[in-house]
Amino acid sequence: MTQKISLCSVSLGVEGMTCGSCVQSIEQRIGSLNGVIHIKVSLEQKHATVVYDTTFQSPESLSEAIEDMGFESTLPVCAT
Amino acid sequence: MTKHEFEVNMTCEGCSGAVSRVLNKLGGVQFEIDLPRKLVVIDSDKDVEVLLETLKKCGKEVKYIGTK
Repeated sequence: MTQKISLCSVSLGVEGMTCGSCVQSIEQRIGSLNGVIHIKVSLEQKHATVVYDTTFQSPESLSEAIEDMGFESTLPVCAT
Repeated sequence: MTKHEFEVNMTCEGCSGAVSRVLNKLGGVQFEIDLPRKLVVIDSDKDVEVLLETLKKCGKEVKYIGTK
């Protein structure tokens, strides 16, 4: 069985982080989600760059997961 | 209403802000956060398990201390 994997990268705005431990908990929790390949959260720029498998995740579902953690998340204005 | 005390590993206002946002989303709870002592006191009729799961959503270590 061959599987087609299509990867996508998205940059989400994240509001409400103030320190390194906020960043860490987001990276850990979102990074362990199904279909998330890589995540990098920037505290200074207030965004999270996520590389994900489009079969499992979408920008909306990722943003929702961040909101679920108690942070405010915004979808990118233009897709990357 | 029962007062439940939790120890949540919060390190900054961002962490406590996240905790209060998830609790507000859950609804039906009143709570106080003591950041320096890392305590969250929740006044609610909800199950301890439900509260614990909600607090864990923030990605922090949570410990149930007991009723107050």
